Amino acid sequence: MKRVLITGLGMISPLGADKASSFAGALQARSAIRIAPPNIAERLPQVLVAPAAAEPDSLLDKKFGGLDRATQFALVAAQEAMTDARMASPPDDATRFGVFAGIGFGGAHTMDNLYSRYFETVHAATGKHVVLHPLSVPRMMSNAAAAAVSMRYGLRGASNTYCVACASSAVAIGEALRAIRHGYLDAAIVLGTEAMLTPGTLMAWNALRVMAKPDPIDASRSCRPFAQNRSGFVLGEGAAALVLESQARARQRSAPVLAELGGYGCSSDAEHLTAPTVLGQVAAMRQALEEAQLAPQEVQYLNAHGTATDAGDVTETQSIHAVWGASAKQLAVSSTKALHGHLIGAGGAMEFALSIMAMNSGSLPPTAHLDEPDPRCDLDFIPLQARHGCEVQAVMSNSFAFGGSNASLVAHRYTP
Amino acid sequence: MLENIIKNYLINMAEVDPEKFKQPGLTVADLQLDSLGLLEMLFEVEDKYGFQIPEPMRFLSMTFAEMVADIEASVRAHHNGQMPVLDTAQAGG
Repeated sequence: MKRVLITGLGMISPLGADKASSFAGALQARSAIRIAPPNIAERLPQVLVAPAAAEPDSLLDKKFGGLDRATQFALVAAQEAMTDARMASPPDDATRFGVFAGIGFGGAHTMDNLYSRYFETVHAATGKHVVLHPLSVPRMMSNAAAAAVSMRYGLRGASNTYCVACASSAVAIGEALRAIRHGYLDAAIVLGTEAMLTPGTLMAWNALRVMAKPDPIDASRSCRPFAQNRSGFVLGEGAAALVLESQARARQRSAPVLAELGGYGCSSDAEHLTAPTVLGQVAAMRQALEEAQLAPQEVQYLNAHGTATDAGDVTETQSIHAVWGASAKQLAVSSTKALHGHLIGAGGAMEFALSIMAMNSGSLPPTAHLDEPDPRCDLDFIPLQARHGCEVQAVMSNSFAFGGSNASLVAHRYTP
Repeated sequence: MLENIIKNYLINMAEVDPEKFKQPGLTVADLQLDSLGLLEMLFEVEDKYGFQIPEPMRFLSMTFAEMVADIEASVRAHHNGQMPVLDTAQAGG
């Protein structure tokens, strides 16, 4: 059983075009949530979004210009993570280096454009044929991001994509951990990416009645996890990437080590399509702690799934109580979704990366806009303002998906 | 016009060396496009003239000039023998 280390992080998020600015945004409680742009707002005036802080194609070579937006986000995050890890491209052990990706809805932009074009041409009734781009299919396939990163860096190990709704990239991290732990690979880059702020997709999300309503005074304060005045979540977009490698490989090349990836837990509720359960969440968190060989009390910060839905916030609070027992209130918990929105497939990787940065800096991002705590959510949610100078040895990040799929990840400081 | 659309695409988007187009008897194979690259090139025309060009792989055995002439014939066949004037907004693709 091999120890697995995290040696690179990258990110492009609503809070920033890289990991440093994204983390700084989370600490400053600088919300990226806003009213949707005109092409969406014309039919959905109430819908809020958290768009990425930069256009991904502006950060990439023009040959990547035609790729789906989610693939472009993944390439940007991978670029930062591979540089951060000082990784050669292609690596000498390319066949032992895999790509693990998580995405909720692959190819959303490509598909939305495709249908727009189709129906516009049909409705225009000019007799013109509908002609679609020949790469529409390879651009919208869910494994497009994994393929693009594998090709760009010459990575020849397994390239697997996990589509597990909001838990997609947390599962991708966990499965990469297992692949390296059990010796199938020596290294992997894990991607979490999502880009579905399109008119068609947002119409569908709006129909589910889980989206936050705009705060009448300040739209950027509309997503309020663990607050009594919560009204739902806001979709965000972006990507995060993590470079994982075995301790032996990292040692051999004297790699910079950010953290040890200690444990992963996953479970299914087998109950309800969208409503979470304590049983499933507790199982995922306990497995992750057990694999990391940590008692709950040894974890100082937890980045909650915390979507700002009533069922989600209350159930997660109960689950944390169940796992931490009498010490639950000593644990610092926050949901950064109040600031960057819900990145669905990218959320797990992004929030886990933020957690690692919190551990290494000793600065914990707050749960923003938590002026009116829900009495049923009675934990230390780091309300409103970041907390600095904290001693953090280990962190957990939770991702609980529609469909009842739960994933928890634990990272801790690395001691050789 | 049609030739320029194709040439501009190849030079600006597919990274084909502009010097190549000075070569007499330039063949489509000389462009060194893979099968997807060939389809992307044809889409530049298909998108602007509103139809799908049939049997794309046949172009691989033609000269560049023959291909352009062949595509022009297809465009005319779809537009009553005319070459439609493209509006520039649409030509941006």
